[in-house]
Amino acid sequence: MRILSINIFITVFFLLTVIGHSQDAKEIIKKSDELIKSKSSYAEVTMTVVKTDWTRTITMKNWSLEPHYAIIYITAPARDKGTVTLKRKKEVWNWIPAAQKVIKIPPSMMLQSWMGSDFTNDDLVKESSVVNDYTHTLLGEEKFAGYDCYKIESIPKPDAGVVWGKLLIWVAKNEYFQLKVEFFDEDEFIVKTYIGNDIKEMGGRIIPTHWEMLPIDRPDEKTIFIYNKIEFNYNVNETFFSERNMKRVR
Amino acid sequence: MKTYLLLAWRNLWRNRRRTLIASASIFFAVIFALLMRSMQEGSYDYMVDASVSMYTGYIQVHAKDYWDKRSIDKSMKLSQTKICKIDSVKHVTLITPRLESFSLISYGNVTKVASIVGIDPELENEMTDLKNKLIFGKYLIENSKGVMIAEGLAKLLKVEIGDSIVLYGQGYHGVTAAAQVEVEGIVKFTLPALNKTMVYLSLDYAQWLYAAPNRVTSLSIMIDQAKKINEVHLAVRNLFDEKYEVMMWSELMPELVQSIEVDNAGGIIMLGILYVVIGFGIFGTVMMMTAERTKEFGILISIGMKKWRLSFVSFLESLFLSFIGVLAGIIVSIPILYYLKQNPIPLTGEMANVMLKFGLDPIIPFRFAANIFVDQFLTVLVIAMISALYPLSYIRKLNPVKAMRK
Repeated sequence: MRILSINIFITVFFLLTVIGHSQDAKEIIKKSDELIKSKSSYAEVTMTVVKTDWTRTITMKNWSLEPHYAIIYITAPARDKGTVTLKRKKEVWNWIPAAQKVIKIPPSMMLQSWMGSDFTNDDLVKESSVVNDYTHTLLGEEKFAGYDCYKIESIPKPDAGVVWGKLLIWVAKNEYFQLKVEFFDEDEFIVKTYIGNDIKEMGGRIIPTHWEMLPIDRPDEKTIFIYNKIEFNYNVNETFFSERNMKRVR
Repeated sequence: MKTYLLLAWRNLWRNRRRTLIASASIFFAVIFALLMRSMQEGSYDYMVDASVSMYTGYIQVHAKDYWDKRSIDKSMKLSQTKICKIDSVKHVTLITPRLESFSLISYGNVTKVASIVGIDPELENEMTDLKNKLIFGKYLIENSKGVMIAEGLAKLLKVEIGDSIVLYGQGYHGVTAAAQVEVEGIVKFTLPALNKTMVYLSLDYAQWLYAAPNRVTSLSIMIDQAKKINEVHLAVRNLFDEKYEVMMWSELMPELVQSIEVDNAGGIIMLGILYVVIGFGIFGTVMMMTAERTKEFGILISIGMKKWRLSFVSFLESLFLSFIGVLAGIIVSIPILYYLKQNPIPLTGEMANVMLKFGLDPIIPFRFAANIFVDQFLTVLVIAMISALYPLSYIRKLNPVKAMRK
């Protein structure tokens, strides 16, 4: 009888620690996710796509209302200036000033590259949540780029529509920003790495403002995002994200 | 030796009717096999020719990896001297540059994905006969800033001549390619795959739209004789380094190669059956001839003729017989095949409609080439020789006394 109750006690204790740990990890990820997101935001971003034999830089303004709405206004290069992308739930529209026309991207084109970048139109509308679509486990603590970090393994839940097989996320211990994310495919091979640096205060928060996405199989290519300005909890509502407003935003 | 030949020859004409019947069976067999093979190979030649001149050309030059990626980023810049060099390769008749890409095409509320092709209007017409496919409006000219779109696509978008459509896609190195252009012409293709997707621009305008000045994604090359393809392919490939890929139609259209192979396998089985029938025909005739002459053989051997001499003479007879049949068959079929090659048999009715649907003329074409004659000549001759072995073994086993009593 005593042995049984000890056994139960031990089992319960282990279960609690496991749950406790995963709660911990999820909490960390949640905090780090909330750090760079807010219900609504406005950002000015420079995106540079580096390919083996060419590079392309786009600067844009980005309004978003999580999780369903976003408008992206291209400010450079000159040829693309004024192009607007509107995301409403699962759909994407483009306003093309050269043709004075709004085009809804048909499903067959959703997997095409967006503005010549490494992102597809589908990436824009995908609404997977790092926090809720994965099961997080704290693997340990590690120093990365001078910061003490939590190293967290995130495995997608079976019903989550996620292409990755696993993520490894390094989150700064005190500041909660993500410094590095490794993306693995379903066969556990590393596919790409995200590195965040140039950490400074922007929009009232201390965050990495220079993001790099590095595809592992093409070492001389990458995509860089530089945040020039960001405003969290920007005053904007659903009516802003309309087809009509696409033609008006500047 | 001369005596044997003379003997064999005389023996043949001793019974003129028998000889004529025997060689006639070979004669018809040859004509039949030739017709069948010529028709089959002719239809393959025609399929290839029709397919390459519909779009791809016999040979295409691209920048390396273009064919896999189909991306305008894998386009190439070619100098005029390079093109002149290709032009000077023997058997090359035409070189057509193209800048191809996929883009959205939009009119009103309808948006479709289309295959956008920048062309040199005159060269394209020479190669694919595009001008004849124009049903409304006018044909593109050099520097034209309008588009010509396929009839099926025009219907889907509900556009007519003079309407302005929007093209929206990605240009060279990620540049946005967007423009409003006027529909100048509507072309009708018989192949639905083309009729629902093709949009033509002038090459200059396409290069501007896709921000790819002086760039093309492919050069399509036409040649005057399909059988010289390997020679031309090698010569063209030698003009380019490994940054380019030079592909033959068989690599560009593997599905066509496959369908030809499947059909050809069927054809070869039919031909095999035909050969078996021919073989038994010839063998039957030879057997009959031998049986008919049993008494003659018996007498010859009993008065001292050596068996091997007799065998040799009868072998020569079979050989002559086969030669007469095969040669006569070939001589007669040369003009027939030549005529059929020049005047293919027209098809009518259901079959004709099917062929028209695939963009082919409704005809049964024939091939007129030396290899067909040589192949049939050798095959039928070998069959005849094998049949000629029968009298040899018959004579070897012959008992003269029994033979004479027959």
